[in-house]
Amino acid sequence: MTLRDEGVPRFPARAGIGLRAPHVAEVLATRPPVAWLEVHPENYMGGGPAVRALEEIRADYPLSLHGVGLSLGSADGVDRRHLDRLRRLVERVEPTLVSEHVSWSVAGGHYLNHLLPLPLTDESLALLGRHVDEAQERLGRQILVENPSSYLRFDESPIPEPEFLAEVARRTGCGLLCDVNNVYVTTHNFELDPIAYLDALPPAAVGEIHLAGHARNDADGRAILIDDHGSAVAAPVWELYAHALRRFGRVPTLVEWDTDIPTLAVLLAEARTADRLLDVTRVEAVGALAR
Amino acid sequence: MPSLAELQHAFARAIWDGADGEVVGAIRGDGLLPEARVALYRHHVFATLTAALAATYPVVSRLVDARFFAYAADRYIREHPPTGPCLFEYGASFPEFLAAFPPCRDLVYLPDVARLEWAMNRALHAADAAPLDPDRLRAVAAAATPRLRLRLHPSVALLASAWPIDRIWRANQPDADPTTRIDLGAGGVRLEVRRLADDVVFRVLGGPTFAFRHALVEGRALEDAAGVALTASPDFDLAAAIQDLVLEELLVGFEMEPLTLDAQPARARADGGRNPCRSG
Repeated sequence: MTLRDEGVPRFPARAGIGLRAPHVAEVLATRPPVAWLEVHPENYMGGGPAVRALEEIRADYPLSLHGVGLSLGSADGVDRRHLDRLRRLVERVEPTLVSEHVSWSVAGGHYLNHLLPLPLTDESLALLGRHVDEAQERLGRQILVENPSSYLRFDESPIPEPEFLAEVARRTGCGLLCDVNNVYVTTHNFELDPIAYLDALPPAAVGEIHLAGHARNDADGRAILIDDHGSAVAAPVWELYAHALRRFGRVPTLVEWDTDIPTLAVLLAEARTADRLLDVTRVEAVGALAR
Repeated sequence: MPSLAELQHAFARAIWDGADGEVVGAIRGDGLLPEARVALYRHHVFATLTAALAATYPVVSRLVDARFFAYAADRYIREHPPTGPCLFEYGASFPEFLAAFPPCRDLVYLPDVARLEWAMNRALHAADAAPLDPDRLRAVAAAATPRLRLRLHPSVALLASAWPIDRIWRANQPDADPTTRIDLGAGGVRLEVRRLADDVVFRVLGGPTFAFRHALVEGRALEDAAGVALTASPDFDLAAAIQDLVLEELLVGFEMEPLTLDAQPARARADGGRNPCRSG
């Protein structure tokens, strides 16, 4: 394992937090010691106090825009109006990273407000590649795309997910956002090996890691893990994260919490835990170089 | 094997209408009924959209209680699914839906309370606009003044109701006195909603002022708006009314109404602050 300088442009390899509306005023007032912040651009596409606060925060913290609305996997195409709104926000707040999801949300002009799974086929791969190209061209920059958490898979879905992601990155030059909680959720739900999943991703493409909590839904006696971002990061996800760092090197890492949002202090404590693991990774990597 | 477009449209029907017969044939069970897997997604879509509506319409939600609100929201979401990903823009037609929703028939004031909440939500996220420098208005030739269209701040909404929706709204805030009684027979109200600094506020306007500003928001020329206000009260003072708009920082620009429908719209246009471009 070595430290890398090439590949996706990066934040300082520290932990950040997903900034949600209930914490904005406290972050502005207290400027907590956290390396960077990430927001959903869809919450900042109007005028008024929200986007003004974001500009103020941007003056003091590196910022990442993590979109949930582009629907890059929609067969109906990418909504140009939404892409243009994203471009205007990118121009306004100049984020260090811009990311989206390997999923779809729009069919027939209606937005399903969920990151829905794609069948992993050649057709999906070609379509997603075209849409990532379109987004990168319109935004004038590289984006990262995130692996989804899935509760179902399609009969006709022959390409293993990590290979699908690697191929999207290879074709488009986009980076990958490895959501370790999503890897855990998806591989658990389909009885796959999460370590093998991580090992199949191309390390040079991974520009960001996400961590979050998940819930357990016992449907008909079968436990389905649900990616609800409603609790602390689970112990096995921290273990998987440590493996991801050993494989990918020190990657900027974000802690997300979206339902039953805790105090800012709790969220910052989760970020400090990630920072400690990042520090350990540095020691191991330096040790490897010395050898 | 269905195309990706066919699969996604079938999936969307399964979510919105519960018509999952088509899509389940393409889903692996993996130890569960495919229908149960689709239901996990459907639950998330409806739960999060219901939460978005409740965040935009907290007073309506409180007036009808959470269970009834969830029932109404479920029907609304099926009939009016979102057309874009910005959830602060979702729910514009919820007041009209409530007005036509039979179970709400007895809550006669509910649609107007919803209209107030939508106007407040819209005001919060409306575009920013700097107040107009009044000297720009003074520079307009007197002969051209009647055909001016004054532009008010994008957050402004004017709302008339036959019910005391301002008092209903205040009595249903988290910090309100729970013993407050509201006399529905006390009469209606004319409200102006706007953003002021970072807050959304509303206040009661008198008849002529309401009529004047309402006409301006509709894009009518100054002389037409003044005519409407004078009909409401012969004492209406146009100069004072314009002065009030300036003092309240509601005036953000103006343009000249074209003289005839056929004429080229040679507009003199001014924006408050940035990039003012005026022609003679």
